[in-house]
Amino acid sequence: MDAPDKNPSLLAGQTAHPTTESAVASAAAPELIGLVTHEDVDRARDRWEVARARWAGRSKKFGGIRLLWLLVGPGVLVFLGENDAPSMLSYSADGSRYGVGFFIPFVVLTFIMGFIVQEMTVRLGAVTHRGHAELIFDRFGKFWGFFAMGDLIFGNFLTLVTEFIGVRAGLGFFGVRPSIAVGGALVIVVAAITTGRYWTWERITLSLAIFNGLFIPAAILARPDWHAVGHAMLTWMPFPGGSRYEILLLILATIGATVTPWMLFFQQSAVVDKGMQPRDINAGRFDTLLGALLASVFAIAAILATVPLFHHGINAANFQAAQFAEALEPLIGHTGAALFALGIFEAGIVAAIAISTSSAYAFGEVMQTGHSLNRPLREAWPFYLTLFGSACAAAALVLIPHFPLEFVVLTVNVIAVLAMPPALAFLLLLVNDPEVMGEHVNGFWANVAGVIVTVLLIIAGLGFGFATVFPRLLGG
Amino acid sequence: MLDSHYAEVPENQGALAPVEVPLDVKSEQLSLQDPRAVLSLLEADQVVAAKRRTHFGRKNLSIATRALLWALRVYVVAMLVIVLISVYQAIHAAH
Repeated sequence: MDAPDKNPSLLAGQTAHPTTESAVASAAAPELIGLVTHEDVDRARDRWEVARARWAGRSKKFGGIRLLWLLVGPGVLVFLGENDAPSMLSYSADGSRYGVGFFIPFVVLTFIMGFIVQEMTVRLGAVTHRGHAELIFDRFGKFWGFFAMGDLIFGNFLTLVTEFIGVRAGLGFFGVRPSIAVGGALVIVVAAITTGRYWTWERITLSLAIFNGLFIPAAILARPDWHAVGHAMLTWMPFPGGSRYEILLLILATIGATVTPWMLFFQQSAVVDKGMQPRDINAGRFDTLLGALLASVFAIAAILATVPLFHHGINAANFQAAQFAEALEPLIGHTGAALFALGIFEAGIVAAIAISTSSAYAFGEVMQTGHSLNRPLREAWPFYLTLFGSACAAAALVLIPHFPLEFVVLTVNVIAVLAMPPALAFLLLLVNDPEVMGEHVNGFWANVAGVIVTVLLIIAGLGFGFATVFPRLLGG
Repeated sequence: MLDSHYAEVPENQGALAPVEVPLDVKSEQLSLQDPRAVLSLLEADQVVAAKRRTHFGRKNLSIATRALLWALRVYVVAMLVIVLISVYQAIHAAH
């Protein structure tokens, strides 16, 4: 191919990053005036790197690795983001209450369910270049759109609060005061979003997210019985005993730790912001699979790290993050407990970044204002204000004395599961819509898998409902 | 996949006109100061201005689809009430 046609008259007076305004004001290239924005330029730069990597991948032995490196991001982020503070506490509760057994393979199953639905968001984003909220409003109208947004914003805000609870509790183990812990977390959230570039934001958040792996050394220090782990993976046994209501609640919380509405909205918007195109769908699938694999390994590590509490008969029924770490200290040592507390802190930080971004994307899409991390602050201030404002409000709630944090932590994962079936219905309707998806419409088996996940979530929710209203039916 | 919808929006034709600027992927350098270079790297419906001007039309929802969405909405509201009951019971028991 030839070099770009650089007409000097086009370059005169233009900045390297034309904003919408400067592009409009420019006299150059009249047929394109008003079309190219800062966001387009940044996205084009990312596409250029992808095009070069794809070209190099054809001629170099390991050239495909660079292509994957460039395209990996939203899938890993969404799954490691969902390994958030309440999720890691749910896994810890599984390990401390029931030891090695049913919950280990069950966690793997939930991540398979997560992969099935998240893969659909990759296709939706890459094909339509639209966020999930925008597509719901476009195809189903404002009435259903606002219902979907209501579920998302309510769930996101509650979850954000729990992330800051995790941050506060995780650093509380090291004696850090709540105001300093929460304030520091806010500074990190702001630092991540002020880069004005999706790529930079993604890499910063990914580098933070990989510390979710801190649960692995914590698990190793807990000296797990690997034979029992292998047996549990193969047989799903032993099945937890005791109150069936509590088991059902933990099953629901464990599902809610992996499959939630914000993940659908976030990954699709991130795929759009990254500029992924239909030819990148396979790389997007790899990204999502990698995220699910990493997150399931880290989740199992959290279960294994807290199994010593089960063996020592320590009742962790109402434990929060710092209490888990303190209770683990005499059993797995100070290093193990510190790693566990740091892991909870990290989980809270990364999820706070991802969930507040998810809310901001959805808000921007619905309000039809700029909604890209590639946009400078002055062009997309409502987007950044939503992002920062939701994080600030959640952080402030955590610092209010006597605020019922217990209430929020108890409900957040359960609410996520209960809000998921309508979100999945919209997702399945969209990916089966030939006007939206064209040749990338869902296949038969993808629909079977999607419907099975939806039905399982509804059954789990109804089981929880019956158990709550009629506790004697389950002996609860 | 937006072709039919773009076709309904005459003022968007400029955004959809194919922009062919040959780019050398073997080159280390790329100048994105030329808007045509930017547009040639993006799909037509990926450009911000094009997305602003066009939207997918409303889908005609069948009665079955409407019934499904309403059923799921009722499910969520009922379940939220049950969550409130269970949280109240849990907090009451704890105190």
